[in-house]
Amino acid sequence: MEISKPSDNSMVLVENLNVTFGKNQIVHDVSFNVKQGEIIGMFGISGAGKTTIIRVLTCQIEKKNWSGNVVVTGLNPSKKKNHSKILSNIGYVPQLELLNLYFELNPMANVEVFTSTYGMDKKKAKETAEKLFKILDIPEDTWKKKVSQMSGGEKKRLSMAIGLIHNPKVLFLDEPTTGVDASKRYDILSYLKKLNQHLNTTMFIITHDLEAALICDKTAILRQGKLLEFDTPQNLISSLPSGGLVARISIENLDQKGIKTVQQFNSVKNVLRVGNETIEVLMENFENNLPKLMKYLFENEVKINSMSRDIANFRRLFQIRIQEEETKENEVDISEINSEGGIIS
Amino acid sequence: MKYVEAVNSSNLLNLIQFFNASEEIYAMETARNYLTSKKIKVIIAIPVDFSELLIWGYPGLIDCISDSSDIKKIQENLNAVYDSIKIFVNQNNLTPQFEVIGNEEFSIPEGYSFKYNYNMVLVLSFMVIGVGMVSTILIIVQEKPIARLLLTPVKRAEILSAKYITYTSILIIQDLSLVISALAFGLYVVGSLFDLFLALFILGFTGLAIGIFISTFSKTKTQANQLFFATFLVLILLSGIFIPIDAMPIYLQIIAYALPLSHGSPLITGIVTKGKSVFGFDFFTLLGVSVFLVIISFIIFQRRKYEV
Repeated sequence: MEISKPSDNSMVLVENLNVTFGKNQIVHDVSFNVKQGEIIGMFGISGAGKTTIIRVLTCQIEKKNWSGNVVVTGLNPSKKKNHSKILSNIGYVPQLELLNLYFELNPMANVEVFTSTYGMDKKKAKETAEKLFKILDIPEDTWKKKVSQMSGGEKKRLSMAIGLIHNPKVLFLDEPTTGVDASKRYDILSYLKKLNQHLNTTMFIITHDLEAALICDKTAILRQGKLLEFDTPQNLISSLPSGGLVARISIENLDQKGIKTVQQFNSVKNVLRVGNETIEVLMENFENNLPKLMKYLFENEVKINSMSRDIANFRRLFQIRIQEEETKENEVDISEINSEGGIIS
Repeated sequence: MKYVEAVNSSNLLNLIQFFNASEEIYAMETARNYLTSKKIKVIIAIPVDFSELLIWGYPGLIDCISDSSDIKKIQENLNAVYDSIKIFVNQNNLTPQFEVIGNEEFSIPEGYSFKYNYNMVLVLSFMVIGVGMVSTILIIVQEKPIARLLLTPVKRAEILSAKYITYTSILIIQDLSLVISALAFGLYVVGSLFDLFLALFILGFTGLAIGIFISTFSKTKTQANQLFFATFLVLILLSGIFIPIDAMPIYLQIIAYALPLSHGSPLITGIVTKGKSVFGFDFFTLLGVSVFLVIISFIIFQRRKYEV
C-alpha cells in the first residue's frame, strides 16, 4: 500500500503504529497520511481497531501502550506537553449526543460551556455558533430551548456544531450516522460535506456505515487491527478485477451448491451473496468472460432468473476485502492443521 | 470532715480544681471558662462563712451552677452535688439542713424554647452535612460529557476545582438561609452569628467533600447512591448524638473521632448554647478532614480513566 509522504499540509501522519494492552496487540503496524481539508472514512467491523487509532490521535492512550510515529496537526501526541495544543487543534463528535451535550441546558449554553474550555471570547463564540447553526439548519426557535426538547436529528447536528465550535483543524467523528433513521443518514452525511466545504476542516469519520464512503476523499479499511486499504474509494474500486465491473445474477433456489458452481468458473474472482437469491460476480476480462459464464451456468443447470451488469460500490469492495482476508486466514489455519498432521475433509 | 473532702469522696463527682475566692479574684471567671470549655460540668460555690453558719445552727447554703447546654445532664449534675452533701452530712453527724441553689449556666432567656434550641442544634448538624453530601454525590458520576470535556484543553484539576467552587458558593447561600431561617423560627444563639455560620460552613463543606469524593470514586449512579446511604448512616450512628462516643469500644471511638459529625455537633452546640468561639479543636479537625478528602478526590479524579 502506498502512503503519501508527509507534506506541509499534512494534518495527521501515522507511521507504523502499534497499540498493545498487556499481551493483546490491538493495532498492527498501521500507516497513513491525511492532508488538510480531506474527509477520511475509517471503516471496519467491531474490534477492527478504529476507535483505538482515534484514541491515540486524540491523546487518550498513554504512550506506554503504543509505538510508532504519530503527528497530529504538526504535534506529536507521545509528548504530554503537546496534549493541550493538540486538543485545541482538534474537535471530537462522539457517537452518543449525551456524551457531548448537557441536555438540561439550551444549545447556546452548551456552546458557552465548551467555548469556555478553549478560552474563546463569548461574542466570537456566539457568532461562530450562529454561523454553524445556520449551516446545519438548526432552527432558530430551538436555540433557547433545552436540548432535551430537540429532535434526534437536531441533537446530532448540534453535537457536530459543538465539535466545530472552536474551528478545529481536524474533526473526529465517531459513528455520526449511527442511531439515525435511514432517510436522515444521507442528510447527516451531506451536512458533513457542507461543513467540510465551508470550513475546509479535515474530517476523520469512524463508522460501520459504508454509505459514509460517499462523502470521503479517502477511505481506510481495517480488520483486526490491520489496515487493509487506504486510498480514494474510486481507486480502491477500480483496483478490483475488471475495474470493479460486476454481474448481478438472480438464481432460482440459490444455495451453497449454486454459489460453489459459480466460484468454480475459471475467471471468477469473487462471488458475493447480496440477497436471498442474488449474487454479484467479479471476474477478470469481464466483457469476454460474462457470456461464457452464462453458458457455463446454463450447462450446469443453474436456473438464472435475471442478470444485469453494474459497477461495484464501496460496500462491495469492503465485503470483498474482508472476505479475502478471512479466506487467507482460513488457509493459514488449514495449513497449520495440515502441518500438525490434522485431518482435512 | 471538710466539704471538699466529701466532694472528693463522692463517686459521682470528680474535683477538678479548688479556688479560694477571697484570695483569687478571678476564681469564678476561671471556673465559668472551664464550664464553657467542657472541662467541668458544675461549679459548686460555698459561702465564706460556711463553717460559721453550720456552727450557729443555720442551714448551709451551697450555690451550684450546672452546665445546662445539655438538657438531659442538668439533673444528673445536681444529683451529683446532692450526693456530696449526703456524704458530708453523714460523716459529720449533721442535721441535714442544706439549701442548694441550682443555677443553670447558658440557659436561654424567656420567650425561647430550650428544647427547640437543643434539638435545632442537632437538626442543623444533620441538615448541613446531609445537604452538602446530597448536592454533590452525583456531580461527577452522572455528568456524561465530562469525558468529552477532557478532549478539550481543559485540565482535570480545573474541572474538579470548578465543581468545588460552584458547590461551595451554593453551600454558602444554603448556610446563610439556614442561619436566617433558624433565627427567624426562634433559635437563640449565645455565641456570634458569624461563628455559627462558619461552623455550619465547615461542616457543610466536609459533607460536600465527602459527596465529591464518593462521586469521583463511584463508577455508577447506583454505586454512588448506595455509598451515600452507607456513609450517612455511619456518620449518624457514630456521631455521639445517639450513643456517647466514650461508651463505644475503643476501635469505634477512633473511627468516631475521625468522622465529621462527632466534631460538627459539639462545635455548633458550643456556639449556640455556650457562646464558644468557632476556632477550636473541632473546627480544625473538620478542616483537616475536608482538606484530606479534597486531596483524595483530586487524586482519584486525576487517575480515573475516561474514554469517549
